[in-house]
Amino acid sequence: MSATLLKNATIVDPTSKHHLKKRDVLVEKGIIKKIAASISEPKAKEIVLKNLHISQGWFDSSVCFGEPGYEDRETIENGLKTAARSGFTAIALNGATQPVLDSKSGIQYVKGKTAGNVVEVYPVGTLTMQAKGEDLAELFDMKTEGAISFYDYQKPIENANLLKIALQYTQNFEGLVQSFPMDPSIARKGLVNEEINSTKLGLKGIPALSEELQITRDLYLLEYTGGKLHIPTISTKKSVQLIKEAKKKGLDVTCSVSINNLCLTDDELENFDTNFKVLPPLRTKKDIKSLLKGLKDGTIDGVTSNHDPHTIEDKKTEFDHAAYGSIGLESCFGALQAIVNTETSIKALTGLKERFGIHTTPVSEGSKANLTLFNPEGTFQFSEEHIVSTSKNAAMLGKTLKGTVYGIFHNKKIFLNE
Amino acid sequence: MSELSVKHLLGIKYITEDDIQLIFETADHFKEVINRPIKKVPSLRDITIANLFFENSTRTRLSFELAEKRLSADVVNFSAGSSSVKKGETLIDTVNNILSMKVDMVVMRHPNPGAGVFLSKHVDASIVNAGDGAHEHPTQALLDCYSIREKLGDVSGKKVVIVGDILHSRVALSNIFALQKLGATVKVCGPKTLIPKYIEQLGVGFESNLKKALQWCDVANMLRVQNERMDISYFPSTREYTQQFGLNRQLLDALDKEIVVMHPGPINRGVEITSDVADSKQAIILDQVQNGVAVRMAVLYLLASKIQHNED
Repeated sequence: MSATLLKNATIVDPTSKHHLKKRDVLVEKGIIKKIAASISEPKAKEIVLKNLHISQGWFDSSVCFGEPGYEDRETIENGLKTAARSGFTAIALNGATQPVLDSKSGIQYVKGKTAGNVVEVYPVGTLTMQAKGEDLAELFDMKTEGAISFYDYQKPIENANLLKIALQYTQNFEGLVQSFPMDPSIARKGLVNEEINSTKLGLKGIPALSEELQITRDLYLLEYTGGKLHIPTISTKKSVQLIKEAKKKGLDVTCSVSINNLCLTDDELENFDTNFKVLPPLRTKKDIKSLLKGLKDGTIDGVTSNHDPHTIEDKKTEFDHAAYGSIGLESCFGALQAIVNTETSIKALTGLKERFGIHTTPVSEGSKANLTLFNPEGTFQFSEEHIVSTSKNAAMLGKTLKGTVYGIFHNKKIFLNE
Repeated sequence: MSELSVKHLLGIKYITEDDIQLIFETADHFKEVINRPIKKVPSLRDITIANLFFENSTRTRLSFELAEKRLSADVVNFSAGSSSVKKGETLIDTVNNILSMKVDMVVMRHPNPGAGVFLSKHVDASIVNAGDGAHEHPTQALLDCYSIREKLGDVSGKKVVIVGDILHSRVALSNIFALQKLGATVKVCGPKTLIPKYIEQLGVGFESNLKKALQWCDVANMLRVQNERMDISYFPSTREYTQQFGLNRQLLDALDKEIVVMHPGPINRGVEITSDVADSKQAIILDQVQNGVAVRMAVLYLLASKIQHNED
């Protein structure tokens, strides 16, 4: 690939000396060759875009596609196209497929299918065999093959001893264990946040307590065992507090929040719209306030789109029968940008890279070009025409978002949105 | 001419006080009709109504069917047990298939909350919710309030306690909304395990002691303990439930006033209410049943008149 010259790009990267400065950036053979106030390079392909900003490439720590097994929800090929258009140079791909990714061969399949793509795919192996929550899967074997973390997607680890063993066993090879924060004995058959809205709608509630009890248990276990724990998608005020205290104590714990829980409340459920049936359930304004505070003060390490495609058949049905989940890659940046400033957005979209063992490179001369190109300004209403995913189950439909993604630079490749 | 503000009756939440008053005034007329020797009027001739019952029901279904027939509607019945639902057909397909046979209105009972709301967005017919999970049972609340109005002259200013399993009860929720819209004050009473944690945010009081609740109220609505909706044990035994929340003659006699006793049926005699109370003149349980037909006639008539109005 020949050289590319990004003209007049505002660099958003606190680790770079060019942070918040407007620069020309010359990329050659996948390496940032030169950054300067003005560069003239006749041989390079010039990229001139309105209000162009660049940052380190974004990472989403919780993405589901459907391949293998649920290709009608999403294929890897179209999923990666969606991720690229949405500004992500790296995704952690959950193993919630059929069969689940619980062995070396599953990890190999994903790696093989995605090798060389402009979006780097990091498979997440399941923690247990067949994600049944009973026996540990071959974690070391999967890690060796490229699994970056272990997670039975959105299935709580019921057996405390299993998590204890997982946290102990993975220490030998620095494995990152994820535990979905929900105590199933309290959540039971709950569908939505237990609050006034669930009461009004007659829908069974999932109390905040179920999340907080599980996190409390997990943190106690982590304190006992050591190891690396990531708690995906917290959603309540008290959860933020619990993680904050644990970090203060020095426990090796990180957490994420789903963009849905950061932007939407359970008021959305009024019409029983199944696009709002998600896990963790949409909570309240009070929770959002704490989550935002936690994101800004670093208690929450990153935001995930929690991208989870489902077919029309899975969603266009009675609320009780509908599948949980919303797609989110396409709307993640715009939704985030609509509620926080650009620096916080970028921190939220890159903050979990190191935790998941992904090499980060500052936007500096000599670095590998791992970049996301975007415009942080400009509001628009998110509609079906913005959806690239095969499935259209988006909780953000109709919402006003801010900012657009121009494309990404990674693996010596550039992907630009039309 | 007055008309309802809605095209469907999906829940009391979605209608106004004026709607409720209009339904009551219309029901007054139909109550007079059903007490005539010839109980039938031609109001809904040429209207076809499908009763879709995806969950068991005896009295609600009979009540709707009688209301429909007394309005001279054409009626088709459908129950999940004998249907294509078991063969995997979706709710929308099931209903659209029925509608393609030129059905104007659908009366639906369904085990899932929001099923009526869901259907109203996807099919082209007037929907009457005859109970959707633990969400709403609007015609039951209307007939309950109508019965209070009949017995006490007015609902406004009255104190009503709803006793029992509030957690699983669509009757409770619809009653709360209807009573509040009509100006009554509502309390709920029952074991804490069967009271939604956030119920008081609806503007409803909570009283754990039945005796105190009865002393406070003008009307006690005794709900059935819905064992079929409970997947775990919310109290140790029926015997203990009755000891604390069962209504008996002794409790009523200890009051310094005569309260009105209601029950949406079917009654578990000796559990939430003793036979001597259920059969006493204080109880208006059978009036409720009779009023149910008149109120449902009013609802169907008013919704059908909207359909005809739109076509004109």
